[in-house]
Amino acid sequence: MNMVFQINGRDVGIEVSDSELLLDTLRHIGFSSVREGCGVGACGSCTVLVDGKSVSSCLVLTSRCNGSSILTSEGLADDDPVVSQFIKNGAAQCGYCIPGFVMMVSELLSENPIPTEQEIYNHLEGNICRCGSYPEIVQAAMDASKAKQTSKLTC
Amino acid sequence: MRPNVFRPQSLQEACSLLEEHEEALVYGGGTALQILLKQGILVGSSFIDISGIPGLAEISFTDDFLRVGPMVTLRRMERSEEIRELFSLASSAYAKVANPRVRNTATVGGNIAHGDYRLDPPVALLVLGASVELTSRNSIRKVPLEEFFVDFQVTDISAGEIVTAVEIPRSIHLAGSSFVKLSSLSANDWPSASAAVGLMENDNGVHTLRLALGALAATPVMATVDIRNLNLDQTLEASLSKAMELMDPIADVRGSVKYKLRLGRVAVEEAIRSAWKEVPNGR
Repeated sequence: MNMVFQINGRDVGIEVSDSELLLDTLRHIGFSSVREGCGVGACGSCTVLVDGKSVSSCLVLTSRCNGSSILTSEGLADDDPVVSQFIKNGAAQCGYCIPGFVMMVSELLSENPIPTEQEIYNHLEGNICRCGSYPEIVQAAMDASKAKQTSKLTC
Repeated sequence: MRPNVFRPQSLQEACSLLEEHEEALVYGGGTALQILLKQGILVGSSFIDISGIPGLAEISFTDDFLRVGPMVTLRRMERSEEIRELFSLASSAYAKVANPRVRNTATVGGNIAHGDYRLDPPVALLVLGASVELTSRNSIRKVPLEEFFVDFQVTDISAGEIVTAVEIPRSIHLAGSSFVKLSSLSANDWPSASAAVGLMENDNGVHTLRLALGALAATPVMATVDIRNLNLDQTLEASLSKAMELMDPIADVRGSVKYKLRLGRVAVEEAIRSAWKEVPNGR
């Protein structure tokens, strides 16, 4: 079918097959931050936001996103507080899983701007980092929350 | 073979398609179906995507029921303030399914229709006395959840029927409730045992304990226990003996029969102790 959606703010019109998954569509278009890990929704490497909500793109039919707005980590600004705090905290080793973590933290902070450490753990519990960078990732999430609050106050 | 996807725009059209294409499966959120396709368990099926049908993603209150449309996501059930306030047991069970991404995608209707014995939401919904509305081209019927799960991966849904609502009666008031999920692998994996408990109260105090178990038999199972005049220890004893009658676990990678029986007892005890604490004038 022919469909139109927004990816990182730009309108994209494509033709997709009935069974095509969002993960494959996004990678074919060139969004290589979206990565397959487990393929069954359990690891979080392929996380993107569809209309602001996190999904495992390996389980979502592209055709279901007709008219939706998709955000991948390529769509975040260089000075995005979540991205900045991941870099500042060295919250990555090999980096394969990191775009997924960044998108999950972005969703969490939009729903819950000042999460507790436990709430961060709860939201990220379905994301797997085989390098074990969890302490740095959680710290980056807490620092991003603080940075967002500070930037709000100074605006 | 690649799946065919039909995209009906009305319930009537969806029901007709289901009648015409006997092999077709209703596609809700698709999280379970996509995994089954990737595992090669489902092959060459066609799907009826019901996401284009208006009105199926609504949460509404009638005088008698909380009515949840089949396309409401699990995450909305977890986060809805009204549901948290009125049926916290349901919110807490929906919040335990997989991870936030799956809960943003998976739907209330698909979750029930999946019929897996290890699902979290049905355990809470059984305690809450929920029912399932099934619609076909010529009829609408309501099935109490207790009769909905028929056998291992088998539900009461007949050919041509679509889950069109899950309803929770507003008349059910639980003085205390709790859902406990115990997993032997990762926390967001299927459970090895789960239990939901609800305590019903009248002017004379707590009188009935509603108990449901997940992952401990071929289907989710439930029972009620008369706990009039029983203290906590007596309630635990009576409920655990009832739970033992219900349990008939299936051994798998998540534990042996013996292990799951043990874990089942722990889940029941934890759920009762936690629900009991919520009763203001507990004995």
